[in-house]
Amino acid sequence: MKKMLPESELARDERFVRTKIEDRIFDPRGPKIAQRNTGPARMGVDRPAAGERSRSLMHGIFVGEIQALEGAGRTCYDFDDAEAPFQLKLDMARQCWDESRHCEISVKLGDHMGTEIGEYTESTFLFAAACNPDPVFRLCGVNRALEGLAIDVFKSMKDFGNESGDPILEFCEDWMLADEVTHVKMGSDWLRRLTETDPERRERALEFQRTVDAIFNLGGFRGEDDDNPVQLARDFRRLAGFTEEENDSLAELARRSTEEARQMAEMATAALDASAQNT
Amino acid sequence: MKLAPMTDHTKPRPAFAPWDRRELPGLFSVEDSARRVGNYKWAEMRLFEVLGGWVATIPELDVKMVLGRHTYHHAWHAELWHKRLPELREMNPDRLTQPPNDEFVTFMNAIREPEAPELTIEKLVGVYRVLIPRFIAVYTYHLNGTSTITDAPTIRSLKFALQDEFDDWRDGEMLLQSLIDTPEKVERASRRQEALEKLYLASGGIAGPGSLGDDSAATGWERSVESTHA
Repeated sequence: MKKMLPESELARDERFVRTKIEDRIFDPRGPKIAQRNTGPARMGVDRPAAGERSRSLMHGIFVGEIQALEGAGRTCYDFDDAEAPFQLKLDMARQCWDESRHCEISVKLGDHMGTEIGEYTESTFLFAAACNPDPVFRLCGVNRALEGLAIDVFKSMKDFGNESGDPILEFCEDWMLADEVTHVKMGSDWLRRLTETDPERRERALEFQRTVDAIFNLGGFRGEDDDNPVQLARDFRRLAGFTEEENDSLAELARRSTEEARQMAEMATAALDASAQNT
Repeated sequence: MKLAPMTDHTKPRPAFAPWDRRELPGLFSVEDSARRVGNYKWAEMRLFEVLGGWVATIPELDVKMVLGRHTYHHAWHAELWHKRLPELREMNPDRLTQPPNDEFVTFMNAIREPEAPELTIEKLVGVYRVLIPRFIAVYTYHLNGTSTITDAPTIRSLKFALQDEFDDWRDGEMLLQSLIDTPEKVERASRRQEALEKLYLASGGIAGPGSLGDDSAATGWERSVESTHA
């Protein structure tokens, strides 16, 4: 078996439908939806279609867990001992077990919420981040950026479970949230150890992490305002080893992304109105 | 009020309770055990690496999740052996983390070779019908043959590892039985198993020739006794 499996060769059964993340974010139907003034986008039981939104997010978590499992597994295989020390591979193997368990939890939660596997599309961006040929970049992109996002998502879903009176959802999200803190710490620890004598490599890896973070801020998906469906979970991020400076930087990035999304929606709405008047 | 002693606490008791039948002699010297443990570690490492690498190439969702769990089991075994080596006087564990011979490398490369998404049966047969049964055999041989007193830490690790090996063997065999649902798939599985068995035979085993014993060679205990009386 070759090393470095490309994203295009990720194996799936026939239920899964793959889309690109940018197609979803820049879907031209977005402005039409934005025209409806339905209040804050923050996950809440009083929001329109709260059940549908939570099911969609849960399916997104599920496919993300599969890719996290696959990414950790590839990191076990793709590197020799000089590139990835034995102890790093042990941590990745442990992550395989954790992510496999998260897949199992997600499938059960999907059943609980009435969702079929493959009912929503899958974007394979997480696995793409795990395809980087440098193991340090993989750890920054996956373990720090995307597992950090998972902390935010699971905290939001846990709160939603509590608010909606669903103890099963709340229980499961909390257990997965605990594991994600461990995964982020793995990423932080190995970033420090592997780049102790190479600050340039560390900075490039952190830049890759910021790029990944920025993509998941697109469209205002994550932030600290009511306009953001997923809320930044500062306390749990702190526990995972993110500094307050990193959290502040991420929050600022999220605010800019939310504003950009609002401006794009306004421009698209104006264009739609102009087009309707001309016809 | 002074209480009269109920028992005679100075009365000698045998050091080993009557039901403790453990004896000193064992098949392996310190060096013998260390060499085998190094071979075990190397093989468990190659196994966990390929199980992890296969997850992304396998479309069957239940198989993906099982392999994710098993990846950790074999990584943990490798860690047990990594920690045992310095206790067996090998201060540089990497030195003994070796395959027993080139033929075993050829065998493991063949185990790890399948990649395409339609080759799940070939992947699983290699691990669950050829390699893991061999782990069970070589670990059991070591467990039964080594000194139950002097090599107790190895025995403890072998027991932990064997529990996983049996559980994983069952998981994998059940997956295979559910996947092999046509005569053509039976033939695929048989061909794959036959080819790998022959490669394994050529290597002598996970610990090389003598993996499951060699009647002609003196045991570690016998060598130790002979050198004492020489």
